[in-house]
Amino acid sequence: MRGIAEIAEPLRRSTVQILNRGGGGSGIAWDAEGRILTNSHVVRGDEAHVIDANGQRFRARVIRRDRERDLALLETNRALEPAPIGDSGLLRTGQIVIAIGNPMGVPGAVVFGMVHATGGNWIQADIRLAPGNSGGLLADAEGRVVGVNTMIYRGLGLAIPSNDAAAFVGYREARAA
Amino acid sequence: MAISNSLAELSRDLSQAVEIGGAAVVAVHGRPDIPSSGILWREGVVVTTDHTLKRHEDITVTLPNHNTISAKFAGRDTGTDIAILRIDDQTTPAAKLTDEASLKAGNIVLALGRPGDNVSASFGVISALNSAWRTWRGGQIDRFIRPDVSIYYGFSGGALVDVEGLVIGLNTSGLTRGYGVTVPASTVSRIVGDLLTQGHVRRGYFGVGLHPVELPDGSTGLIILSLEPNGPAAKAGVFLGDVLVSLDGKPVHDTDDVQAHLAGDRIGKPVTAQLVRGGAPLTLDIVPGERRPEGGR
Repeated sequence: MRGIAEIAEPLRRSTVQILNRGGGGSGIAWDAEGRILTNSHVVRGDEAHVIDANGQRFRARVIRRDRERDLALLETNRALEPAPIGDSGLLRTGQIVIAIGNPMGVPGAVVFGMVHATGGNWIQADIRLAPGNSGGLLADAEGRVVGVNTMIYRGLGLAIPSNDAAAFVGYREARAA
Repeated sequence: MAISNSLAELSRDLSQAVEIGGAAVVAVHGRPDIPSSGILWREGVVVTTDHTLKRHEDITVTLPNHNTISAKFAGRDTGTDIAILRIDDQTTPAAKLTDEASLKAGNIVLALGRPGDNVSASFGVISALNSAWRTWRGGQIDRFIRPDVSIYYGFSGGALVDVEGLVIGLNTSGLTRGYGVTVPASTVSRIVGDLLTQGHVRRGYFGVGLHPVELPDGSTGLIILSLEPNGPAAKAGVFLGDVLVSLDGKPVHDTDDVQAHLAGDRIGKPVTAQLVRGGAPLTLDIVPGERRPEGGR
């Protein structure tokens, strides 16, 4: 059986910590060019410090930001292992999901849950998120990123659907396969 | 359905279970804020939680096909936190029930609700199973089922289902503090039956107030602290200050032991009460009366 640990392992390698003044969160290694997707609220300034899964620390620069959708794209000069991106349009209520991030500063922490509801601007997940998960990935049982964890509302995790994130990055077609 | 051996297949099976179970889960609009949930229990009858129903008129129900239709309040039992509604609908299939005997702690379960148009789900396991219990509101629940699942706002009145989408019971956050419990389907069916045939759930009563006391021989009894005039116990000849020791030969140590003799089917059937009065034993037959249901809210 391909268990949660096996599915989480490569996704943890694609998850980075983002540090900046007065806080931080998580980020997703989006492509082989070293671009990182995260929440806009995780990176306040034009630059941030990033720590990758190997503990390497480096700088990243914000190259695109959408405050309303709470997304930001960072550029680095490092090679990162990009996470496979899924099609959030196919998600169904009841599917298993996992979230990876740095809740309360714990790097690469994995939590397990279920798609609670879909539709609208958010994926609602029955999953235990904490501050620091922001900007990190929500993945399906096949290990594909389906959302960007963004906030907690009445105990539910709210994630931006990966299709919206891909549209923001501007690569939707190229990555659809 | 065989449960698959990979997480991806399990994930598909669980979303399938949401679809199957959710086909009988409706939204109940009976309070000012977001709707609560309900289960289509049999054709035309929706069960929901009593504590989430804040009005008994102008209630509507949103069906799984997203149609919203009017519903008529048809009875409540505050003891088990169950209310029933009648709807005019033949399109929604009634809930399919699981085999309660096969439940085990650790079984994967899903809580399903419909706090809006769409069904929502949360994931967990059965955390505890135990024997029958009595709620703080006085209702008899045939089995204690505590799921380790999040009962989100709007989930009360929804269903706990197994991995095949079969209904285990009705979830409520109104009977315990801090966590939700599931009223087993067998109890829901019993209450629904009582409410449909009698309009309320029948409960017996003696018309006494009781408090545990220790007797000189070291055993425990229940002293009669108050007595309803012309109530069942008064009519049988019970006095204030008598100590109740046993009912039908079974010792009584607390009020739950007494309640066990007061189920609806015991009304009108004499119970042999062993008492102590002034140090001497005394036997009286008490005929449980029927407690009138509480008034509407």
